[in-house]
Amino acid sequence: MNVGLMNTNASRSQSRISVVGIGNVLLGDDGFGPLAVEMFRCLYECDSNVEILDLGTPGLDLAPYLYDTDLVVIADAVHAQEGEEPGTLCVYCEDDLGSSHAQLRLTSHDPGVQESLAQLRLAGHGPSEVIVVGVVPESCALGKGISVSVLNTSLTAVDTIARLLAERSIDCRRRHAPVPRNLWWLTGSA
Amino acid sequence: MARISIDPITRIEGHLRIDVEVDGGAVQKAWASCTMWRGLETILRGRDAREGWVFAQRFCGVCTTVHAIASVRAVEDALQLEIPANAQYIRNLILIAHALHDHIVHFYHLSALDWVDITTIPNADAARAASIADGVSNWPGNSHRELDAVQNKVKGLIGSGQLGIFSHGYWGHPAMRLSPELNLILFAHYLQALEFQRKSCQVVGILGGKTPHIQNLAVGGVMNAINLNSLATFNMDRLGMLQSLLQELIPFVQQAYLVDACLLAASYPEWFRYGRGVANYFSVPDLPLDAKATQFDLPGGVIMNGNLGGMQPIRSWRDDPFRAAVVEDVTHAWYQGKEPLPPWKGKTEPDYTDFHEEAKYTWVKAPRYNGHPMQVGPLANVLVGCASGHPLTRKWTDMAFKTVSSVPGSSGSGLNLMPENLQSTMGRYLARAIRSAMLSDLALKHWQLLTDNILKGDDTTYNPPQFPPHEIMGMGMHEAPRGALSHWVVIEKGAFTNYQAVVPTTWNASPRDQKGIPGPYETALIANPVVDPEKPLEVLRTVHSFDPCMACACHTLDTTGREIARVKVL
Repeated sequence: MNVGLMNTNASRSQSRISVVGIGNVLLGDDGFGPLAVEMFRCLYECDSNVEILDLGTPGLDLAPYLYDTDLVVIADAVHAQEGEEPGTLCVYCEDDLGSSHAQLRLTSHDPGVQESLAQLRLAGHGPSEVIVVGVVPESCALGKGISVSVLNTSLTAVDTIARLLAERSIDCRRRHAPVPRNLWWLTGSA
Repeated sequence: MARISIDPITRIEGHLRIDVEVDGGAVQKAWASCTMWRGLETILRGRDAREGWVFAQRFCGVCTTVHAIASVRAVEDALQLEIPANAQYIRNLILIAHALHDHIVHFYHLSALDWVDITTIPNADAARAASIADGVSNWPGNSHRELDAVQNKVKGLIGSGQLGIFSHGYWGHPAMRLSPELNLILFAHYLQALEFQRKSCQVVGILGGKTPHIQNLAVGGVMNAINLNSLATFNMDRLGMLQSLLQELIPFVQQAYLVDACLLAASYPEWFRYGRGVANYFSVPDLPLDAKATQFDLPGGVIMNGNLGGMQPIRSWRDDPFRAAVVEDVTHAWYQGKEPLPPWKGKTEPDYTDFHEEAKYTWVKAPRYNGHPMQVGPLANVLVGCASGHPLTRKWTDMAFKTVSSVPGSSGSGLNLMPENLQSTMGRYLARAIRSAMLSDLALKHWQLLTDNILKGDDTTYNPPQFPPHEIMGMGMHEAPRGALSHWVVIEKGAFTNYQAVVPTTWNASPRDQKGIPGPYETALIANPVVDPEKPLEVLRTVHSFDPCMACACHTLDTTGREIARVKVL
């Protein structure tokens, strides 16, 4: 049973890693985040200190999922910068989220991301590192599913998440056989 | 006269726009507009009715469990399907934990900074703040040491010159009147609240399998396997973890949150005079105590024209007058259609025209109850509870009123509050805290009901549904954090042929109707003070008192580089 947020009693010597997808699955490419983390769960096997969560569109309710974590990888749809095509993969670190362009909104949900991070930092419970793995969406229309360009990039995005973890010496192995995926919102029926 | 347009108004979900006309320092006219299309119900048509909740749970990223449970209740109502007592208690505990989480976030993270000026915190006397807090509460997080540490953090933040997310506050506004010590106390709890948000999520996670999207629901009950002898299922270990989490969470609600709401009320007593708005209220019964849902821990009822003595109870989910009373009007909303329709016949066909205040100006429909606009939410809950002599409501309302009048040295000390005074901007804040204190008592009660029932040997959690071939209709109610929620479904051969969700914010953010009568936000803003049209802090206070949530969805409509909020004085 995969119970989110349950590893509270894990000793602090063991690092806590979260791989979270953000976005609304009912709104086309806005569902990139949930799609990416579900594919990651099916293709890669991680230790129990890595929590994989589809968080939907939590706004400020994001904070509990980042509380006292060491590394958070956020998969999300991001705004296109000039000249970027739909399906472009972008990886950002936390400094890119806030700093020089205080008003720049990289991901569609980053008012929640930035506020949650700032609150947690001030309270002394923020994550040590935050990475955003983003994809430029083609269309975020109601009930349209994932576009081909975003779908094509999502496998690269999943491998990128795995590489980011491996670079930080976090155990993350490609499965010999993928576990069945549950993309209920993309199929005809739940 | 000044015309002000604030867009977006919510701190996170940027889909609410408020326009006000200000003259003589007060609002004369107001319009509430939701700037995002909310047509999510159309996605449910044709879907298997057993799986509607999985989609409904994605209507809103904040109120996930709320829509999931209203959805299964609607289908169970259509089938007249009873669910086992264990399923009622497990659902109730999820709803309570979610509501506590939501109210804590609203008070501290979404609205406290409308009243708390963090830039004065460096001037506070932390020892004096600790002694003020000690005088009104036993909360252990009020120690001198703790407050001193928080003060140093704020000094560091302000000293860095990088206020970050706090750079948008109306600091130094003349309507900010708390002492530096009270600002320090409330901001310390703002930071501590993060830990208790997390504990509420853990409760939902244990019961629901995952959070924020629970996995354990089913039409007919819940899928939690109960077996006291198996480690893999819901057992005494899990029950013990739940109990500890609840016991850690409850003191924060009762000793920090409720007391802080009382401190605000005592410090800003004039806000009991503003923001009354539509004085028609309704609340639906919730937290069923038995399998058949004949008894509830929270009462429902309808109050018209602020007349508490004339409250009409809503005693069950199958209340026929309620079903007959609700219609939705689209005269001023961007939808096609002329006559108001009951939700079972409701349509969601868009007809966008841009903002025309005399014609169509919002994506929110105008729900009406026997033709009247209604206010929903914790204020409605507390008024209905007081009017029906509900002991738990009286217990915490009396406690709150006593605390407000006992705050030493505040302008509100000696304030003799009555339930009627809650019909105001500050009353909505206080009512939400009262409701939270009530829910925290009920959390342990429902934990005990579940534990006793399991120990008695009852391990049933699910009654399988059977769908008839003919058309059936149902309605599922839930008294959600922001107020009464109802899902209305029409099912044929096990699939939805219509689905309408009438959500709390639809009632409160309702536009004008065909008779030109405005909704609760619009009415509550009339006569609201506005000292400085460039900084309409007072407008935010009244709108935030309703805890607006504009059905979250995709935010990529926002253009890159947009300001967090735009205030235009036209």
